[in-house]
Formats: sequence, C-alpha cells, structure tokens
Amino acid sequence: MPYSRKPTRAEIRRERLQEAINFPLDWLEERSGLVGGIRYFLFRKVPADTNWMQTLGSAALTAFLVQAITGVILAMYYKPDPKDAYSSIQNITDHLTMGWMVRGMHKWGASVFIILMFLHMGRVFLFGAYKYPRELNWIIGVLILVMGMMEGFTGYLLPWDQTAYWASVVGINLNGTAPFLGPWLAQFLRSGQEIGADTLSRFYSLHMLLIPGGIISLIGLHLYLVIRLGVTSPPWSREAAGMVPADEEPVPLRPGLTRPVPRTIAAAQGDAGGSE
Amino acid sequence: MAVVPQPQHEKPSRVEEARAGFARYKADVKKRGKPFYPYAMFHDTVMSLIVVTVILGLAAIWKWTSYGPHHDGTHQGLLGPEYTAPADPGTTSFVPRPDWYFYFLFYLLRIFKWPESVFLGTVGVPTIALILLLLLPFMDTRLERRPSHRPVAMVAMALTIVSMAVLTWKGATANEALASEVIANVPNWVKQEKLPPQALPGAKLFATAGCTACHTYLGTGSSNLGAPDLTAIGTRNLGITFQVNHLKCPSCVNPGSPMPKFASLGDTRLHQLAVFLEASKGPQH
Repeated sequence: MPYSRKPTRAEIRRERLQEAINFPLDWLEERSGLVGGIRYFLFRKVPADTNWMQTLGSAALTAFLVQAITGVILAMYYKPDPKDAYSSIQNITDHLTMGWMVRGMHKWGASVFIILMFLHMGRVFLFGAYKYPRELNWIIGVLILVMGMMEGFTGYLLPWDQTAYWASVVGINLNGTAPFLGPWLAQFLRSGQEIGADTLSRFYSLHMLLIPGGIISLIGLHLYLVIRLGVTSPPWSREAAGMVPADEEPVPLRPGLTRPVPRTIAAAQGDAGGSE
Repeated sequence: MAVVPQPQHEKPSRVEEARAGFARYKADVKKRGKPFYPYAMFHDTVMSLIVVTVILGLAAIWKWTSYGPHHDGTHQGLLGPEYTAPADPGTTSFVPRPDWYFYFLFYLLRIFKWPESVFLGTVGVPTIALILLLLLPFMDTRLERRPSHRPVAMVAMALTIVSMAVLTWKGATANEALASEVIANVPNWVKQEKLPPQALPGAKLFATAGCTACHTYLGTGSSNLGAPDLTAIGTRNLGITFQVNHLKCPSCVNPGSPMPKFASLGDTRLHQLAVFLEASKGPQH
C-alpha cells in the first residue's frame, strides 16, 4: 500500500483485520468460484419495475423449505409401520414439545405450498412469462407442481388413521383405472395385493426420498434458468421490457400512467416538447 | 423459368424478432435495472415472513380448536381433527375424502359417473389438462405479453380459474351419505323391496359399511366412480358365490373396477351382504 506517510498503528491493524476476513473468502473463491457466484446472484440486475406479484415464486420456495425442515424433524419421530405409525403420530401431536407445531406446520405448509405454486403459475401466465426464451422453465414449473401434488398424495397415508387409509384405498384404485399402465401403477403403489406394511413404507420412501429429491433438483434447475434468463418485467412496463430500445431513453409520462406508449406517439410527444 | 431467390430482408421472422427482443431486454435491464439485493430481495423477504406466519397461524388454529373434551386431537375444530380413529381395514363405514386440493379431481369423478365414462374423469380429462399445460409455450408462440392484447389467453385463464374453483367448491360441499342416516332407511328398504328376514343383517351392513359412498339404493347414497345403482341388483341373478367373490376382489372378477376390496369384512359378513344383494329385486308391489 503506497502510504504518503508512515501508517499509524490503527491503520495497520485495520488492514490486517481486512486481510484476515478476506483470506477465507479468497481461499474459497480461488478453489470454487462460489464467492463470485453468490455475488453475481445477489447483485445481478433485475428490471426496475418488478412488483409484488413477482414474489410468489420465492414465497413458494419458502413454503417448500418449511416442508423440508419440518419433514426432517417429523422423520425423527415418525415410525412407518402399521403397528406404530398411528401411535407415533399421536405422540408427536400430543406429547412431544412443540410436536403439534411441527406437524401442524408440515400439514398446513403443504396446502400453502400448493396454493402458492398455483398463484405463481397464474402470475407467470398473466405476464406471458412462459414465452421465448423461458418455455423450458414453464415446463419445469409444471413438473414441480405435479410432483408437489404427488407429495400431497403420498403424505396423506402416513398418519395411518381412517381418513388416510380410505382416501389412499380409493386413490390407488383410481390410478388402477388408467389404461395400460394403470394396473401396474396401482400394484406398484400398493406394493402387493392389499394395502399394508409394505404400502406404508413404500409411500414413506416416495414421500421423503424420491419425490423431494426430484423437487429439489427441479427447483435448482428452475432457479438456474431464472438467473440465466433474467426476471421478466411486467408486460405493461415501459422500462426494461425490451419494448423501448436500450439506446433510447424511455419517454417520461404523467406519473401513474404505466401503459407502454406506441413509438409513434412517443416520437410526437418528443417533437411537441421540443426538448431535443 | 428459373426461380430466382428473393432477398428476404423486408420482414424479420418470428425467431429473429424474438431474439432481438430478448437482446433488447438484456441490454435494457443491464442499463436501467436494479440489483436484486437489496431491492427485489426486500420484497421477497417480507413475503416469505408472511408465508411462514400464515403457516404457523394455521398450525396453531388447528391445534387449539381440535383439542377436544377427550383430551386428544380427534375433535373436529375449525380445520378438521388432528387425527381420526386408527386405520381399520375391517370397518368400512368411512367416507373416503382426499385433501382439499384434490377436491377438483374428486368432483370430476362425480360428473363422469356412468361406467363407460369413468375413464374420462379419472384419467382422460386430467391427462389432457396436464398435456395442454405442459405444451402451453408451444401453442402460444406470439411475442405479445400485454394481457389486453391476449384476449384468447385471458378468457382461457378466467375459464380455468372459474372451473377449478367451482369443482373444488362442489367437491368440498358434496353431500356424502352418513352411515347413521343410511341405516335409518333400512326398515323402509325391507318394506319396499319385501326383503326376507335373512337379508336384514346384510341390509344393515350395506348401510354402515360405506357402500352408499359410491352406490345408490332406492335413492339413498351417491353414485361415484361409475358405481351402479343396486336397487334391483338381485334381478340379475348373479348368485351368492359371485357376489362374495366380487366383494372380496372386485377387480379380479370385473377387470378395471375401481371398487375397493372388502375381503377384510370376513366370510360371514360377506355372505350376509351377498344374501341382501341377491334378495334386492327392486320395489315390489
């Protein structure tokens, strides 16, 4: 550091502190590029006029994280066996400290997750955000929605009470009515002729290993594409929508007027203003 | 005459237009966008906090309103009981009900209740809807994104929302026959169908074992999943053996039947049910 005078002791201390803080970050960055990646993620530009409707995707992600965390805690106490499943659910609900809260959050978080996915999908449809070049991300999103509903179906059996049992009996039989694959699918879900211990552990495995694994991978891809392609601006915005070429300044309008302005009118206003 | 290739630079193709539009978007965001942190991230954080609060609130309401006088979670409460009685394959007096976000599928099945069309409700319509949803970006390839300039898409969206809402609502309020109400009709059945005394145990079993969740009998019950009306099933003279075998494993006798197996009722009760069904010859005058 080119000091014009001898650095004071405080300045030397600050500099050493900075080096100490930066060292692990530099170490990590040199070996993984992660620091740069996170910096890119945080400071990437998004359209200036994104609005509250565009928080629904991250809200759905939050609901999924709630499901993941509460699910891990429930798995520590739940016993996927017809003999013990019901009593372990009773134990979680009635006796474990905060057990009712963890189970309640998992049960109702599922509904909130599904609702938020539907709302997010509605927003994407309204904004036409599934159009070029984001077609692939729409498909991934639909697959996440379907897998989320599969989580709902497989999770519903686990408490092993009457509601759970009979809804699953009918649900599995309905799968069986599909042509060609139906009987095979019903057999696979039931894991035998009758709904029993094997069905329960199969549903448990699907519910907490296979489907969540799939959802997490798809969410990763979904976010990768969002970051790569950028956040869509509202379709009615003038800014950053690609509707006004970047080298033209957007035409200032009366405040509150948010519709895009046809180029010809914009040009006419520019003439009338005579500001150029 | 030789075909002379015409220069094509008057009108850009849709692909070129799309690419140019996206390049403009990228340049525009780079020039006039805001960094994700802290601007967009602030909104996301606020929304996420609301989501977690709502989930916690629902969990608390579920807990505090379902904790019943018997000191467990089987009380109905505002959001339903925390658990119902333990699963019992032997007693089928339970009306199967999925979680609420499957109600629209559940109700779809009641619309397609004729045996030939059940397939449409269970697989046909949902599969077609899913394929349409997946293929949406390839069906709507126009670049226009403003809702006011996409009348077809907006009408389709409104129709989808309305039909999903109606199906969910109808599914939620679908009037399921309660076993306690159905059993009150048994004396009436005996009178109208002139049932012999040995058919009475089977009639009571029929009323309480959940049969009327899908089948109808003299106007009682609700037809579901293509389940036939059983008022005059005895006129088909299928025989006690067939009835017992069918109840044990419906899809073995009648491939593709969505009816659950009732083998767990036990031979005695299955025989009683079969006697009742065979005795049911429709209203006798």
